[in-house]
Amino acid sequence: MKIKKKEIASEIFTGSMADISFLLIIYFMITSAFSATRGLDFALPEETDTPEIKQEDAIEVHVMPGGAIEVDKKSIPVDGLLPYVLEKLQQNPDKPVILRTDPDATYGDMISIFDLLRRANEEWTDDLGNPMYKDVKGEPLTEIKTISIPTQREIENIWNLLGMG
Amino acid sequence: MALIRGRDRGTGAAIFTASMADIVFLLIVFFVLTYKVEVDKTQMNLPETWIRKKIPEKAAVISIAPPDRGSTIRVSTGEEMALPVSTIEEVITFASTEVAKNPNREFILKADKDAPYGRVDEVLDALKQSKVKYIFLLSEQLTAAEL
Repeated sequence: MKIKKKEIASEIFTGSMADISFLLIIYFMITSAFSATRGLDFALPEETDTPEIKQEDAIEVHVMPGGAIEVDKKSIPVDGLLPYVLEKLQQNPDKPVILRTDPDATYGDMISIFDLLRRANEEWTDDLGNPMYKDVKGEPLTEIKTISIPTQREIENIWNLLGMG
Repeated sequence: MALIRGRDRGTGAAIFTASMADIVFLLIVFFVLTYKVEVDKTQMNLPETWIRKKIPEKAAVISIAPPDRGSTIRVSTGEEMALPVSTIEEVITFASTEVAKNPNREFILKADKDAPYGRVDEVLDALKQSKVKYIFLLSEQLTAAEL
């Protein structure tokens, strides 16, 4: 006797797919972090090719607690920093800027001044990127070539070398 | 005159859900592509800067927590979760090991804007002693209105 087989439809059960998908979305939404991925770049000098910077040859910017600044031992407003540096670099474009920060100041105080110095390139060029200022030799002046951030230990080492420690 | 109403056709107010699966999968694909594990989950207020360069992926991370969390220093290779260190010598050891593996290893300094600079100075000095060449100071975008 011939028995007729029942036909079973071969289907993948997709009823729970929506639940699984929503669970995955919730997992990714909770665990994914929209973290900051940008910042100020800063290259540390290699000891072998570091030119010796004499203090009298440099522009010394001292960041005080609260964000006030002293430039070459004179207190000036933050807005006056770039014009002062521009005036000095017009005389000598290779002059480095030494950025020192008081240990009691905050990291935010230091970063705002460092950012301001790095912004010189934007401030000293027009919208098309053409230089707006020239040095005494007639060369375009578009940026601060060297910004040095010595650490407290390095400063103390220099003072010890000079016999001032 | 009263209106004679016809029989209801029985059209239920159903929400069209056929495209829901597509939308959900699109969202999943988005999250999978943009998913990034944050190696240091310390909550902090980053300083704001106008100049911001893209930091390299997988760079080593050194974080300094806000003062109300003890300005704790944490280090991470960029692939593992950040671990706290108790002395600055441990930062030097960590950075020296990373530089020994790759002399051009980049480091990210993630510090709270209210962290005392003395603490940041110690970390920068440790990185200099370890012959680190490139540091990225993590920051948020400064808006034109804040300038």
